[in-house]
Amino acid sequence: MGSFIGKRLLAVIPIFLFATLLTFLLIYLSPVDPAEAYLTAAHIHPTEELLEQKRQEFGLDQPLLVQYAQSLLKMCRLDFGTSYVSNEPVWQEIVLRIPATLQLAFSSIALAVIVSIPIGFLAAVFKNSVFDHISRLLAYFGASIPQFWLGYLLIFFFSVKLDLLPVQGKGSFEHLILPSITLALGLIAIYSRLLRTGVLEQLQEPYVLYARTRGIKEKVILSKHVLKIAISPMLTGLGMNLGRLLAGTIITEEVFSWPGFGRYFVEAIFNRDIPVIQAYVLISACLFIVCNLIVDLLQMYLDPRISWKGRTDH
Amino acid sequence: MFSSKSNMLLLMLLLFSIALAACSGTNTTNNNAGSKEQPSETAPANKMITVSWPRDVGPMNPHVYNPSQLIAQSMIYEPLVNYTEGGEVVPFLAESWTISEDGKTYSFKIRQNVTFSDGTLFNAKVAKKNFDAVMKHVENHSWLGFIGLLDKTEAVDEYTFNIVLKQAYFPTLQELSVVRPVRFLGEAGFPDDGDTSKGVKEPIGTGPWMLTDYKTDEYAEFTRNPNYWGEQPIADKLVFRIIPDGDTRVLAFEKGELDLIYGEGAISMDAFLQLQDNDDYETQISSPVATRQLVMNTTNAALSDKNVRLALQHGFNKEAMVQGITSGLEDLADSLLSSNFPYAQTNPAPLGYDVEKAKAYLDEAGWLLPEGKSVREKNGKPLEVELIYEKTDQIIKPMAETLQAEWAGIGVKLNLSGLELTEQIKRFRAGQFDLYFFSNYGAPYDPSSFFHIVAEKSFGIAEALANLPMKDELDRQVQEALATTDENKRKELFDAIQTTLHEEGALVPISYIKKTVVYNKKISSFAFPGNRDDNPFSSIELNR
Repeated sequence: MGSFIGKRLLAVIPIFLFATLLTFLLIYLSPVDPAEAYLTAAHIHPTEELLEQKRQEFGLDQPLLVQYAQSLLKMCRLDFGTSYVSNEPVWQEIVLRIPATLQLAFSSIALAVIVSIPIGFLAAVFKNSVFDHISRLLAYFGASIPQFWLGYLLIFFFSVKLDLLPVQGKGSFEHLILPSITLALGLIAIYSRLLRTGVLEQLQEPYVLYARTRGIKEKVILSKHVLKIAISPMLTGLGMNLGRLLAGTIITEEVFSWPGFGRYFVEAIFNRDIPVIQAYVLISACLFIVCNLIVDLLQMYLDPRISWKGRTDH
Repeated sequence: MFSSKSNMLLLMLLLFSIALAACSGTNTTNNNAGSKEQPSETAPANKMITVSWPRDVGPMNPHVYNPSQLIAQSMIYEPLVNYTEGGEVVPFLAESWTISEDGKTYSFKIRQNVTFSDGTLFNAKVAKKNFDAVMKHVENHSWLGFIGLLDKTEAVDEYTFNIVLKQAYFPTLQELSVVRPVRFLGEAGFPDDGDTSKGVKEPIGTGPWMLTDYKTDEYAEFTRNPNYWGEQPIADKLVFRIIPDGDTRVLAFEKGELDLIYGEGAISMDAFLQLQDNDDYETQISSPVATRQLVMNTTNAALSDKNVRLALQHGFNKEAMVQGITSGLEDLADSLLSSNFPYAQTNPAPLGYDVEKAKAYLDEAGWLLPEGKSVREKNGKPLEVELIYEKTDQIIKPMAETLQAEWAGIGVKLNLSGLELTEQIKRFRAGQFDLYFFSNYGAPYDPSSFFHIVAEKSFGIAEALANLPMKDELDRQVQEALATTDENKRKELFDAIQTTLHEEGALVPISYIKKTVVYNKKISSFAFPGNRDDNPFSSIELNR
């Protein structure tokens, strides 16, 4: 297991380098001049003299490779530079906003898991029943409704009309409910269908037939054997979505005024705050890599057929 | 029902979420007012006003710009003089002033017994300390005309403060009323080295409000300053809820989480009109705060011809466009400055919608419509111009599309280029455009700032006007008007400049931009401030 993790961690390095290079080149190729973006964000009239001074300060007069190497070294020290807008270190600003995003991401993932496992499982067990049809409808609805629209609908009914929950902000458990549902509904739609398919596939496997012929109770077959294996594709999806949610749930954070990482990024885009944009892209890439690694490890833990050696050979 | 491993994973996930939910409330508070998740709300509900603002109020440093929000800075910090509706400059922290005959020395008598919110006295010494801090980074403030001309400041005695300029500059008083960077921080707020550009220790001002609680990206709570020298606001507390999304603002207002929504474009035009129809709410629209105008670059070969410029003005139905796109929330503009601005020219002859006249101007300019073609040509070259605009702007984009359709009818091809904000500003300032939507700065900056950029290069307007035959004379008139101490002469010059600009048709007034406010029945009276950037909260009256 140790060597597998070691190899996976080593594989992270080229992905990280590729992500940094891509971010660097995209910013280099964009029409936005960082010196001008800085002065504009600071409301300073950009004279040629000031622009030149800022370009030198940012090292933009250096050869491209030198600029890239310097930014890479800084990133390794978690130095993402200073925000053009606030003049505060970007890392410090991100750390300030990450807890809110983590809270929202994990609560919506937890809600999605809690709801989608019974729905997906029961929809498979009671295939073509009324429950199955209702779960299918829910999945269509969840997968097709745009997140911002769902957010507004939830606010309109539960906050404005029924006066049950706050419209926006963060602070209490009540504040967490509507944004979590908004994020979770789409995930529930995917996970419940993935699980349903997985369970139905497993029910066709010979080991289920053998278990039945051996007189093992259906309940035990389903819960101890079928579900354990059928949940694997759902975990893969979970890893992908966790990365996405941790990278900031931009639309939901905007709609519910949730003070997280995604909202910070949106403002950075509007302000052309290049150090923040650069940091966001890199941190998001890292989050995806780490989440996928964790999910791989979890899958192996749950399904012993996937050997450590076998995984590394593929 | 689940396997033990699945159960364990699920349990871990839940525990992790609960732990996060429990701990996240304590680690993002970053001010000195405690670690609460919500503002304290200790004031009686009927004495507290909750408003929304799209962005975090920022560090409340009076001497720097972004990310501090002007509206919040203006609640804490006050100017020497105040700008009121119509352009009159009135005493504020200075109770009177004199201007030397040469127009270079402004001597202010500072109002006595004005204290900062920490109880310390505001006097000439503190005023000088603030100006010294600002002048350490003079390059950051060069956009403010008088800063570039500032020779020195003097604390003559405890209550006499002098500002000495290198040359006379008439808009000095107007510019002293701006929200930043020339308002005053208390001694205790200064960092040890006196350089406020890196931050302030505490936001201590003389204003009617004090920042008492703040949480990044969530809220800012202001409490009435008990030491305030002027008339106290009626509300005890004022809370800014940071809500970036306009539709959420409206929903929060309808739910009762907000008492008031204020600003330019704070909510969509549709939402404003919908709330206007609801008897439970009050709505108001301000007088014009700025002019939306279309800049025609005279260095473009086609647009260098006055007849073409006039043809384009006559070639679109401005009134229908403004009414249709802004739903009546902006007024049709026929002059470059609205009549509520000082020195505004009254009733210039409007260049109305007249397609036949437009066609005649183009014919006269030699741009003729060849048989079977839809675009006019001159010497084989089609009459084609490019309009650059910020692609995310919800008002300018449909206006640009309207112009494209209307001008096609007179044989002019308009190419639309939606650009990134920085890219379009860069091209505008470099004069690399044919047509551009611009809005002037509003009170208290205008009209002086607007006239200033007519003559001063690197802001885009002077570059666009460069090919006017009388440009040198125009520049001379601007310089003279800004420097003269003779009020009649200045009025005459500003009038002449506006007449020239109107007749030449390179700057096309489109509409007057306005602010809106929506409030509930808790508030009985609301008045818009004269200064575009100032806050309106101190004058709000509440129903009992």
